[in-house]
Amino acid sequence: MHGCRHEERPSLDLTLAYEVSPQPPRTGPVTITLTMTDALGKQVSGAAIKLEANMSHAGMVPVFADAKEISPGRYQSNVELSMAGDWYVMVHATLPDGRKWERQFDIKGVAPAGQ
Amino acid sequence: MLQSDLNPKTPPAVDVLRVPFIGAFLKHQHARTLLQIPLFVISAAMILHGLFGPQLAPRNLATTLTWVQFRGALVFVLLFAGNFFCLACPFMLLRNLARKFVRPVRNWPRRLRNKWLSIGLFVSMLFVYEWFDLWASPWWTAWLIVTYFAGAVLVDSIFKHATFCKFICPVGQFNFVASTASPLEVAVRDSQVCTHCTTKDCIRGVREPAAPLVVIQRGCELALFQPRKVGNVDCTFCLDCVQACPHDNIGILGRLPAAELMNDPMRSGIGYFSKRKDLAALMLVFTFGALLNAFGMVTPVYALENWLANLFGVKSEFPILAFIFGLFLVFEPLLLIGVAAWVTRIWGGSKRPLGSLALRYAYSLVPIGFGIWLAHFGFHFLTGFYTFIPVTQATFADLGWAILGEPRWSLPGLAPNVVQVIEFGFITLGLVGSVLVSYGIAMSEKLERPLRVFIPCATLSLIVAAAAFWLMSQPMQMRGVVLGSG
Repeated sequence: MHGCRHEERPSLDLTLAYEVSPQPPRTGPVTITLTMTDALGKQVSGAAIKLEANMSHAGMVPVFADAKEISPGRYQSNVELSMAGDWYVMVHATLPDGRKWERQFDIKGVAPAGQ
Repeated sequence: MLQSDLNPKTPPAVDVLRVPFIGAFLKHQHARTLLQIPLFVISAAMILHGLFGPQLAPRNLATTLTWVQFRGALVFVLLFAGNFFCLACPFMLLRNLARKFVRPVRNWPRRLRNKWLSIGLFVSMLFVYEWFDLWASPWWTAWLIVTYFAGAVLVDSIFKHATFCKFICPVGQFNFVASTASPLEVAVRDSQVCTHCTTKDCIRGVREPAAPLVVIQRGCELALFQPRKVGNVDCTFCLDCVQACPHDNIGILGRLPAAELMNDPMRSGIGYFSKRKDLAALMLVFTFGALLNAFGMVTPVYALENWLANLFGVKSEFPILAFIFGLFLVFEPLLLIGVAAWVTRIWGGSKRPLGSLALRYAYSLVPIGFGIWLAHFGFHFLTGFYTFIPVTQATFADLGWAILGEPRWSLPGLAPNVVQVIEFGFITLGLVGSVLVSYGIAMSEKLERPLRVFIPCATLSLIVAAAAFWLMSQPMQMRGVVLGSG
């Protein structure tokens, strides 16, 4: 089951939309699907995207994952959320022209698996 | 019982001040300042990074160093050595600097010369930690450190002696209680030397011979007179007494951890444990606060908070937290201690009043309380051991000075399942300590059937330990509270 679609409006000329499944999120593997679009609404293809998931508590080792482009402008990654709680996902993207771009979104209230 | 009863005339097996290099360093006149300066610099960096750096807790020095490295290192140093963090306290560096310009003239009010205010502040700190999610907020963590510095300087600029340390500082009170289970204490080497001492410089300070009102070396600012000092309560390991003693008769001596909790001698600067309701309350808050602080990090707390929110029909976290704090820091300890003391009266035949028994029992809980703090802080410390490295690397890189290289965010600490075994070990160690202290207390009652005093007292520790084992086996969940979310 996929969750609702969230919109992040960046200050630059790119927009990031993300989906997290399952919903509500639980510990264990979650699938994060990202869609990057430019100011004209055109999907951005060919970016190299790395995800970094952090917990809200200091001292937790972040989780890293690469995102694969599954269709033009759509990227998908499996991330292992090892602990229940609030997570923050940082998206590190290298655009086809070499420019770096970063965005952050939250996955709040990840519940323990089995609940 | 005097210090001389606890310290036989045979030389102590361990005296840190006689260990080559370490002893010489600690006895150096400026040793404390040299230890404080690096911690002061780190504190300043934490404040600046907390206020102006990235506001994601795992990427900020304020939150990482405070809630992972500092707390963990603090409890491990207390476990394996003693109250050396108070020795190196950076707040006192600034306070001592301020005292070069402002000489305090007032005495701390007599009615406040107890632990009640500091207990209130300690509980407030635990409360604010949960309410503001301090563990997730670099900004608030930085302000907490600023408040400490400001409090220490302000209070000790107005009031004489070590008022802030003895009567106010919540971290200091934590250290005083935990250090009762430490293997080292600042103590007299040979009590016979003290009986012939006429100057009592360890408490009065060294005076200018030509001007006796001028102190050239402080004595103990916490009113601990070495010949009658027993144990570590209220001792900041500042070593002023070591500097002041003209006979080089004070050391940092090895001892049996937690043994000081078994007996109830008259203690300099403290009095009798059995007559200090405030100290007993501090011990209880220390122990049950350990459970409560760990409870805030596991999944069931959110279910409880939501259940209470629905029960009371409130959406604000404040009243819910206040209820939980009242339940776990007041009602639960009083109920458990009260029942244990009552059972001792009717079954054990103790002639002590109920309140007096309850006071004695409170001290027996310190080792298990310390074990729970060790388990909790040890978890964050060991699982996040290296996290300060990439955060420091990133801080330098953000300043445009990437001399430490690219941040290595994936540096692992110990695996949580490995650390859980260590957590259980700490709780077990604390339980064994509490049971032994309970036995010591029972023996000191000098009753016909001391086992009937020991069993209720030890059962108390078992109940606390069982709660701790349950807590540490719960799934962790670190998030802000959204009431009504189910």
